[in-house]
Amino acid sequence: MNIIVCVKQIPDPETPASSFRVDEAAKKVVPAQGIPPVVNPYDPQATEAALRLKEAAGGGKVTVISLGPESARDAIKHALAMGADEGILLNDPGFEGIDNFQTAVALAKAIEKVGQYDLILMGRAAADWDMGVVPMGVATLLGIPCVSIAKAIERVDGKVRVTRVLDDGFQTVEAPLPAVVSVSNEFGEPRYPQLRQIMLAAKKTVQVWNAADLGLSADQLGEANRWLKLEALYVPKVESKVEIIEADSPEEKARILAQKLRADKLI
Amino acid sequence: MVKFTAEHEIFRRTVREFVEKEINPYADEWEAAGTFPAHELFKKAAKLGLLGVEYDPAYGGGGADHWYTVILGEELGRADCGGVPMAITVQTDMATPALAKWGSHELKKQYLEPALKGEMVASIAVTEPDAGSDVASIKTFARRDGDEYVINGSKIYITNGTQADFLTLLARTSPEGGYRGMSLIIVPTDRPGFRVARKLRKLGNHSSDTAELVLEDVRVPVTNRIGEEGQGFYLQMQQFQKERLIAVYTAIGGMRRAIERTVAYLRERKAFGGPLLSMQYIQYTLAELIVEIESLRQLAYAAAEGVVAGEDVTRLATMAKFKAGRLVRRVADTCLQFHGGLGYMEEMWTARYFRDSRLLGIGGGADEVMLRVLTRTEGLEA
Repeated sequence: MNIIVCVKQIPDPETPASSFRVDEAAKKVVPAQGIPPVVNPYDPQATEAALRLKEAAGGGKVTVISLGPESARDAIKHALAMGADEGILLNDPGFEGIDNFQTAVALAKAIEKVGQYDLILMGRAAADWDMGVVPMGVATLLGIPCVSIAKAIERVDGKVRVTRVLDDGFQTVEAPLPAVVSVSNEFGEPRYPQLRQIMLAAKKTVQVWNAADLGLSADQLGEANRWLKLEALYVPKVESKVEIIEADSPEEKARILAQKLRADKLI
Repeated sequence: MVKFTAEHEIFRRTVREFVEKEINPYADEWEAAGTFPAHELFKKAAKLGLLGVEYDPAYGGGGADHWYTVILGEELGRADCGGVPMAITVQTDMATPALAKWGSHELKKQYLEPALKGEMVASIAVTEPDAGSDVASIKTFARRDGDEYVINGSKIYITNGTQADFLTLLARTSPEGGYRGMSLIIVPTDRPGFRVARKLRKLGNHSSDTAELVLEDVRVPVTNRIGEEGQGFYLQMQQFQKERLIAVYTAIGGMRRAIERTVAYLRERKAFGGPLLSMQYIQYTLAELIVEIESLRQLAYAAAEGVVAGEDVTRLATMAKFKAGRLVRRVADTCLQFHGGLGYMEEMWTARYFRDSRLLGIGGGADEVMLRVLTRTEGLEA
């Protein structure tokens, strides 16, 4: 079973609030000093799903693709250290500042170039922008089904059976292969890379493809050709006010509190 | 400046997650119990390759470079207790290096391989009631009887001692005194005549079991000896370098985390109209400690580079061990002090860290032994 996993490198979500900065004029997040970027936390779950499916199928290949700067190679290496077989880094100056639709276009081109695939897995969303639309975009461009937010995936009779996470329960659906499936944290703990696998990963090669390799032209790339225009980017200001309720008894305090909450339409 | 590779950083995350998921949630329970389930935890560590980082893959090791050991130590040092990291590093870098380097193939198959799989727990048994820093004074005797050694004596302050499946034991094998006539012997603890005399109560590192062991006519095959007869002291002295370095790496990880946690607390803790961290005295004290820790880290990295290059690192390892033993006490004391009354409470990490930190200046060669070695390496003898 040949599976392609798309992974993304993002700023560490554990970055302390005191180190997190936004350049409002440039509409960009300023990378925190001394805090290296990490693999999007949902992506190791997609890799884990791919490895389990490959193991269940008794063979196949797991190819990892990441679009990003040279440092995104580390996100690929993480997946290789978990046990994935091959890595491809999509790296081009034209990818700087692109939106999720442009990303989906580039990923779809790369997947077509890889050629043989039964399944494409991604994390349910990237924890930086948290939009979760790239899986649908890629599936639409490839003309194949997309099943989002999976907690369980199995291959049954040449199809994929996916249990999806809903707000109030679960839903099990089937789709023909090939398909795109986005994997949620409910899938379960991804394996830690073992030292032996890490050492092996060091020997695996990561190919680098640029925009020309994917057949993408300049008018499809760059910040200027975004479909989604970013109007403003800022850290919301949270103001907290404290009001101490003075009264003679706890009952009286509770009564005043209840009146205030009702006045503010909170209860 | 050392540049860790992407693979090194992936390994760092693996160890950090192991500490956060497999050690920290149980640290309080194990501290209260005065022990931890070594066989259970070591198997989990072994699965990730943490027990045999640099050892020969032929025996289940990782065959990795020494920087992975540096990372292992630094990340284990970030655990919520000092005892478990100590127990793990006894297994990886104190009780097994001599076996891996000078043990016979059969001996390594029988003991090193299961130790790296976490199926066997190992202890290093050198110290005796009358011989600690003065290793040359040990009295435990292994008398040759045909193809066997018959061992008599006692060992004390032995980490993993109540749970160990085998000891890497230093004993006299001939009556010459001093440094000569000693051998390193693997002693399985299921032999008749071996017993745990008592589990020892300590100031700190409560999660790690420490024992006094007694050997009465314990018979082991002569083939359990590591290296040549009479070479034990020299082999142990070389093994000590590994022990000292891993202790230093672990201490560095612990100190860095202690400073991070203290800074986070002082940023939130308001007193005298602002966060305590805004006080210049506090800022300067912490900045100075950070300089000290970073200096030690660079010294340790210089020693690590020496290990990678295959050099004798006695001088740098000894300096680093001495510096770490002193510095960790200062860091633990300062962190506790800056937490005020809360820092003295048992519920705060500072209290445990303060207790645990006291050992490094004693175990693995006391500060004074390090100074004694340095007197020689620095040519200070009159």
